[in-house]
Amino acid sequence: MSEQIYSNSEVQLVVFKLGREEYSVSILQVQEIKRITDITRVPHTPDYIKGVINLRGSVLPVIDLKKRLNLPQQVITEDTRIIIVKVDELSVGMIVDAVSEVMTINQENIDSPDVVAGSVAASYLSGVGKLENRLLILLNLEEIIGIGQETKAI
Amino acid sequence: MDTNQYMGMFLEESREHLQTLNSCVLDLENDPDNLSVLSEIFRSAHTIKGMSATMGFTTIAELTHEMENILDLLRKGQLKASHDIIDTIFKCVDTLEQLVESVATNSESSVDSKPLITKLKALAKGEPVPTSVTNAEVKSVVEASSLVLSDTEIAIIQKARAQGMQAYEIQVSLREGCLLKSARSYMVMNALDEIGDVIKSVPAVEELEKENFTLSFQVVIVTGSEADKIQQTVLSISEIDKADVLPCVLPDEIHKQESTLKITEQPSKIQSEVEKTAVTTVSQPVVEKKNKSGQSVRVDIDKLDTLLNLVGELVINKTRLEQIGLTHKLTDLVETIEQMDRVTTDLQAVVMKVRMVPVGQVFNRFPRMVRDLSRDLNKEINLIIQGEETELDRTVIDEIGDPLVHLLRNSIDHGIEQPHEREEKGKNPIGEIRLIARHEGNNVIIMVEDDGKGINADVIKRKAVEKGLISQGEADAMDANEAVRLVFLPGFSTAAVVTDVSGRGVGMDAVKNKIESLGGMVDVETKVNEGSKFKIRLPLTLAIIQALLVKVSEEIYAIPLGSIDSTINIMPSEIKTVQNKEVILLRGQIIPIVRLANVLNIPETEQQEQQQEELFVVIVHIGEQRAGIIVDNLIGQQEIVIKSLGKLLAGIKIIAGATILGNGQVALILDIGSLIQ
Repeated sequence: MSEQIYSNSEVQLVVFKLGREEYSVSILQVQEIKRITDITRVPHTPDYIKGVINLRGSVLPVIDLKKRLNLPQQVITEDTRIIIVKVDELSVGMIVDAVSEVMTINQENIDSPDVVAGSVAASYLSGVGKLENRLLILLNLEEIIGIGQETKAI
Repeated sequence: MDTNQYMGMFLEESREHLQTLNSCVLDLENDPDNLSVLSEIFRSAHTIKGMSATMGFTTIAELTHEMENILDLLRKGQLKASHDIIDTIFKCVDTLEQLVESVATNSESSVDSKPLITKLKALAKGEPVPTSVTNAEVKSVVEASSLVLSDTEIAIIQKARAQGMQAYEIQVSLREGCLLKSARSYMVMNALDEIGDVIKSVPAVEELEKENFTLSFQVVIVTGSEADKIQQTVLSISEIDKADVLPCVLPDEIHKQESTLKITEQPSKIQSEVEKTAVTTVSQPVVEKKNKSGQSVRVDIDKLDTLLNLVGELVINKTRLEQIGLTHKLTDLVETIEQMDRVTTDLQAVVMKVRMVPVGQVFNRFPRMVRDLSRDLNKEINLIIQGEETELDRTVIDEIGDPLVHLLRNSIDHGIEQPHEREEKGKNPIGEIRLIARHEGNNVIIMVEDDGKGINADVIKRKAVEKGLISQGEADAMDANEAVRLVFLPGFSTAAVVTDVSGRGVGMDAVKNKIESLGGMVDVETKVNEGSKFKIRLPLTLAIIQALLVKVSEEIYAIPLGSIDSTINIMPSEIKTVQNKEVILLRGQIIPIVRLANVLNIPETEQQEQQQEELFVVIVHIGEQRAGIIVDNLIGQQEIVIKSLGKLLAGIKIIAGATILGNGQVALILDIGSLIQ
């Protein structure tokens, strides 16, 4: 039973950087983290879709997360990574500036995204986590990938 | 017991057995005495019953249980496979299908099997559910078989049968008011003598000569001719009203049936009646098909897909190793990879073969469909299936069913005429539809042929002009073949056209689109009053295709080889414009030009801005339509593994999919159809 309580109140997050801000997604949604590879541009797609990559034989779309969130662009560096997330059986890569750590945070310390409404499209966020002197922005992947119109999970 | 883990297996096996039931009951309808078919039906029903009972699906189990009772009676010869029984069994199969599907979707079934069970029970007790037709027929049958054969006559018949001949009872009825009845009967006897040996008549010949009979008499004949031939022979004599030809039933055979059967529907009559209304399927003998499956393993299709992916991956990595070996001049590595190359090529071939599925999987649902539809429309149709063992990749198999349903429905609905119309035209009242599959090089050809009324090119032209699809001038310039192809135009697929004219065109454009999206082609040949032939040409597989890789700026695209005519080099000055649209003239033909870089919004690089001297043009076609695609460079022809772009990027029109190149890079495959429209 103790395990149950533990998992109910705490979440494990993969934390990454976009510009100066820290973002995170639930570790349960992360399939793997990959160095940047060749990305093939796909014509006639929204500009935040960077293209497609080859992930061990399957072709996956890759989202430029900063474009999606209307953040200023930054060049690709040594630290740039592609986080492969899986949402509703759909695997998608997201380009982030750097992956910093995996941490556990108590559910109580997560605020609703309304506090930052207006800053970025609030629907892309599922919450803001407070740590001692850091803020972690929790992403709503369903919305970001564009399949969350009908279901708003978590 | 937790039965969930067996659910997949249960569903799969049930579906398979239901399919067997469907086709076997059809066989039974055509050959009610076939015990091996009956046993097959019984086995399938029994297995379904057993499985569903174990899984706790009581409704299914109950229904199959009642079915089994009937089947058992049929098997023991205590019941005869009458129309009514066959219909009921078909209804049971339908209901079972619905029940199984509702199990599959985990939904409450709205199907009520109670009335069926009641009916089955009634049938088992031998209470016929009366329909006017059967009753009337029964009477004439009883009359027909009231012949009493002497032992010598029976011996003659048995001897004749041993020699491959048949004995028939012929019930000849003279027209009312027929003069010189004895002369007619004499002519009948004479005519019959020519095609066989008359061994008996009722009344006897002397009585016939004395005109001691009313309007009908019976003849027993031993002959090598078919029943049809006999009937025609008799009917060719004037003043003959009717000639019913039935296979002769020997007394001990009759006795067997009558002792156990109170509903005296004679098997012989049923058979001939069934022949008239039923759909016969000429296919491989059942036994042969079954033997094959003993040595195979059922594999989840997803696993096969994964296997194909992994092999594809292996091939890609092998190519990369090759490149490394070549760049670093590692002879040992290159040699080893050459070995590996052979293995991977074989492996790939085997995986592709494993994915090949016989078209029979799609075809086997058609006999039932044709039977039902032809009965609904009161038509008599003989469906002939050939080449059902022809194999296609499952990616194609999954897609081909719908277009075929369309074509078959069309043939039944609009192609085949009503029996009386056919007779007036001097055709066999029973229409014929052929469904044929066969290999032709790297393609599979599937044909739907009917001997119906065909498509009248003039009517099609007139309709197309009326609908504004073509101008009168265009129509006049068209030959019959071109005109008939108008049925594939989108505008033609409206209900109004179908009812007005000879029809054809229900969703024909949909059929055409579907086939073309599979990389195939569909064509039609037709002759008025002789029938139509729809010919579909399909690639063996959709998973691996031959493609031409082209380069535009820094990007690489694949063009399926199937839609490429040729590649040419032209000078920029050869591009002309017609109303501001770029075209080139190729062998006298005006071909519109597509600049790939523009269509795909490819960012220009500096290199490209220096005007190129020569331009590479890939001439592509979809059906009759041609276009030239301008690219920067041709890389070469290659076998590519087609990958889906996934749900997120599914809607992009110009892109048909993606593939992974030897260096691990993803290249997009162009959809030529949407590119040149």
